[in-house]
Amino acid sequence: MKIRLSKIMKDFINFPAYILVHPFDGFEEFKRYKQGKLLVAIIFIVLFAYFQIFSFRNLGFLVNNNNPQELNSLQEIFSVLLLVFLFTVGNWSVTTLMQGKGSYKEILMVTGYAMFPLIIIGFPSVVLSNFLTMEEMPFYQLIVGIAYFLSGWMLFMGILNIHEYGLFKTILAFLATAVSMAVMMFVGLLFFDLIQQFIAFVVSVVEEINLRY
Amino acid sequence: MKKILTFLLVLSFIPFLKGSSYIYSYWGHPIHSAPGMNFKANFNSQLLGVTFVNPEDLMVYQDKIFIVDSGARSLVVLTSDFDKLEEITSFDYTQDYLDKLISLGITDETSLTLNGPKGVFVTDEGVFITDTKNYRIVKLNHDYQVIDTFSDIDDPTFEEILFEPLKITVDPSGRMYVIANNVYEGILEINSDGSFNRYTGVNPIKLTPFEIFSRRVMTEEQIAQLQLFLPTEYTNLVINEKNFIYATSKVSVNNAENPIQLINPKGVDVIKRNGYFPPMADIQYVVGMNPYVVSGPSSLVDIAYTSDGIYTVLDQKRSRLFTYDSEGNLLYIDGDEGRQIDRFSEGVAIDYLGDDLLVLDRRTNNIIVYGLTEFGTFVNSAIHYHNEGMFEEAAEVWQEVIKLNSNYEIAYSGIGKLLLRQEKYQEAMEYFKIGHDRYYYSKAFQEYRNGIIKDNFGIIMGGIVVLSGFLIARKIKKVYKRGGTILYED
Repeated sequence: MKIRLSKIMKDFINFPAYILVHPFDGFEEFKRYKQGKLLVAIIFIVLFAYFQIFSFRNLGFLVNNNNPQELNSLQEIFSVLLLVFLFTVGNWSVTTLMQGKGSYKEILMVTGYAMFPLIIIGFPSVVLSNFLTMEEMPFYQLIVGIAYFLSGWMLFMGILNIHEYGLFKTILAFLATAVSMAVMMFVGLLFFDLIQQFIAFVVSVVEEINLRY
Repeated sequence: MKKILTFLLVLSFIPFLKGSSYIYSYWGHPIHSAPGMNFKANFNSQLLGVTFVNPEDLMVYQDKIFIVDSGARSLVVLTSDFDKLEEITSFDYTQDYLDKLISLGITDETSLTLNGPKGVFVTDEGVFITDTKNYRIVKLNHDYQVIDTFSDIDDPTFEEILFEPLKITVDPSGRMYVIANNVYEGILEINSDGSFNRYTGVNPIKLTPFEIFSRRVMTEEQIAQLQLFLPTEYTNLVINEKNFIYATSKVSVNNAENPIQLINPKGVDVIKRNGYFPPMADIQYVVGMNPYVVSGPSSLVDIAYTSDGIYTVLDQKRSRLFTYDSEGNLLYIDGDEGRQIDRFSEGVAIDYLGDDLLVLDRRTNNIIVYGLTEFGTFVNSAIHYHNEGMFEEAAEVWQEVIKLNSNYEIAYSGIGKLLLRQEKYQEAMEYFKIGHDRYYYSKAFQEYRNGIIKDNFGIIMGGIVVLSGFLIARKIKKVYKRGGTILYED
């Protein structure tokens, strides 16, 4: 299989950039003409998880508040994956009830594509932060702020378009998503706690039996 | 001198006394460190030849040590060699004060006794004692005769509660700064004639918008059940030679991070918090209901300062002494809890006698003397040189400090500052990185980076010109290849 460089450029750079500046047209192509690719979204999510680890270690000394001894790559990866999982499942379950037109796959793809600005701006800005003094740091902070804003913008417009919602309904959907994410986390914690107690109970029963007989 | 010799035996054991000394790293972890002060001597009441029941406060003035005892109701005066000078329970009136009393119509008194005194402070003017259970401040001259007493404080607060002064400090003009029981407005400032002036060091309470809203909604009964939002409650204070007041306060929700304050004459807290953590004694502590461990933040009960803005606070809860410099860097942590001769179990007061630190223990009625170790001497002298602007000498001493304790992070930034002045920017950057000094790292880095850019300006600029020229040339070539032109056309 011959991989063409221009094809990769189009999928990973040009098309996400096009969506960023033309959200309505872009997501129309994304949804109706199947221009969005799941592989691209997954790679973006993986890159974002890598970005978290990368910035943990390589952020300039003047802005790096992380203790390098406390870097836990697995934890960083899982926190990104968990966040993506919670958001996509939460959004999907909410929008299904709110007559959203998007499928789970599309929500996942939008979430992945939304990380495009963070990746494309984030990596260079981490490198840049190593070459700035304290007085020049506001530039770095501005750039990072723009990256986060654009990511949020892309996520918002993506959800708006794939579900074919209006502005207020999208805001409502986001609020409901946040609530459902909180509910899922609560249930998850409750589940883990109960399982833990149950296991502890079984273990103590087995121990007791072993000691007696 | 004789008593010091008595303790030579004890002194010979010092190398065998092991303390687990620690300090907080930049990341807030307790790490091993060398002790800055070590046990030097211990004086109990028998050795001093005085009666201690509940000693409450200790003050070093020139070459005398003043101690008040709330149980024995006495004022004890010792020399700096720990020989007894005075132990007084009854104080005669001076003629001036007698005349004043006669003019007020009181003729049957010639002396007074104390009742539960909690604080003492000595200036050139005289000795000030807070006679807590008698609700007054007693002012003595240096012959320990009563010059004056102050009891009626003209403030609306004392219409409802009694004036119970706890701790006192006096500035050179005779103005008294008093911490009183159940007073939350701040430190009372009383003029030298006994008239109330104002409250100083007041900490206003800050409520979040949510708290204000929820208080609006709640009923009176619900609000009464809430935890009271009380402003800072001071525990002790001492005035320095610039008339700034070092004060310690109880930790509450409202001031979790500033239990140590330096109050300027305007009444504002100006203590520097430039260290890795704000000066607040222990940073890591257990929180919870476990009865087997001491939990909660440090409870600071006294503060003492020495030269170069170095000050020490006493944590009564864990019997530890925390020493900070004027910038708020934690220098060393000493002291240990216990009934052994080199430890103290309920420290109530500390003060510096020269370089030695005296700790008054209320439970065992002892005075424990801590002296600087080699490490502590180095640290103090490095800070002295640094304050004087003698960076080279300071850096030399910091080198010695690192030899003794390579965990000592602030020493690295001290060396870095010298390297920065010597224009060794790259090395300075490394030292500042180890010392986690971002401000100076930034300065060193700026010089280093700008130096590189300056040295290679020709190459960098030339590179940019050549690159852009090449790109333009390629573009032009492309245009001509297509049969176009770069010249202006209609």
